[in-house]
Amino acid sequence: MRVEYINPFVEAAFNVLREVLNVEIKRGELYLKSVSQPVLGVTSIVGLAGDVEGRVLFDMAESTALAIASQMNGEKLASFDDLAKATITELANMITAQAITKLHDLGFQFDLTPPAIFTGDNMQVTDTEIEALIVPIEMKFGKIEINVAIREKN
Amino acid sequence: MKTKMDFPTINQRRPDGMKENGKPYRVLIVDDSMFVTKQIEQYLTSEGFDVAATAVNGQDGLDKYKELYPNVDLVTMDITMPVMDGVTALEKIIEFDKDAKIIMISALGKQDLVKKSLLLGAKNYIVKPLDRKRVLERVLMTLKK
Repeated sequence: MRVEYINPFVEAAFNVLREVLNVEIKRGELYLKSVSQPVLGVTSIVGLAGDVEGRVLFDMAESTALAIASQMNGEKLASFDDLAKATITELANMITAQAITKLHDLGFQFDLTPPAIFTGDNMQVTDTEIEALIVPIEMKFGKIEINVAIREKN
Repeated sequence: MKTKMDFPTINQRRPDGMKENGKPYRVLIVDDSMFVTKQIEQYLTSEGFDVAATAVNGQDGLDKYKELYPNVDLVTMDITMPVMDGVTALEKIIEFDKDAKIIMISALGKQDLVKKSLLLGAKNYIVKPLDRKRVLERVLMTLKK
């Protein structure tokens, strides 16, 4: 997977998270995964289609998702309800859209699907014939793993 | 003797959401995200605007605009939505009322999309994430255009 595809996602994630959460954010070491991996509890997925194809996952523990949703709404949300889900979905949408805009300006043409959210324990994600690059992001609310799998279309 | 204490008014400014006649500007919010709708609603009502209606997709937005017309001053329009997208809804609202004041609000800032919206008659374009100050500035700018 070419690094040109990854950097815009990392940059967009930093910009958006910093702006909407207003907390200190640290990036962990990037790593590649080509086999199945566990999902942390709340995962938002956005699909990409066009010159390249693939998907981006935003993976976090439910407690992290709830803390982030509370911060973004300016009020403490008691449970991971519809508003909390809509908030995390919107976060994934903003990050992906900003990355797509950057890639678009670099000459890549593709669109994104509306985000979907999965919640639950003991989930795994498997990509066939496509490598996933993980960008871990740490903050006081916990960890978000941004999991990007993109390939050029044949 | 005074029965009531007269406190000096600290803030005599008319809220931005109020017209000179003292009535609030009426806004229609079109967005499929509950979070974004709530966020825009909070920004607007905090300045005295009246959120006349909210709609969850372009078709719903078009229908609500026609219902509210002429008692609607401004529309905020998301772009990526199910059933009917925001650019199509923009086109159809302008067809119905060429003077409609519509602000596009999207996470996508692609140049061609911004250009297309403005050519179709949108008065402004805001790229998310949203910020209270910026939203209110653009809303006022649009109302005064």
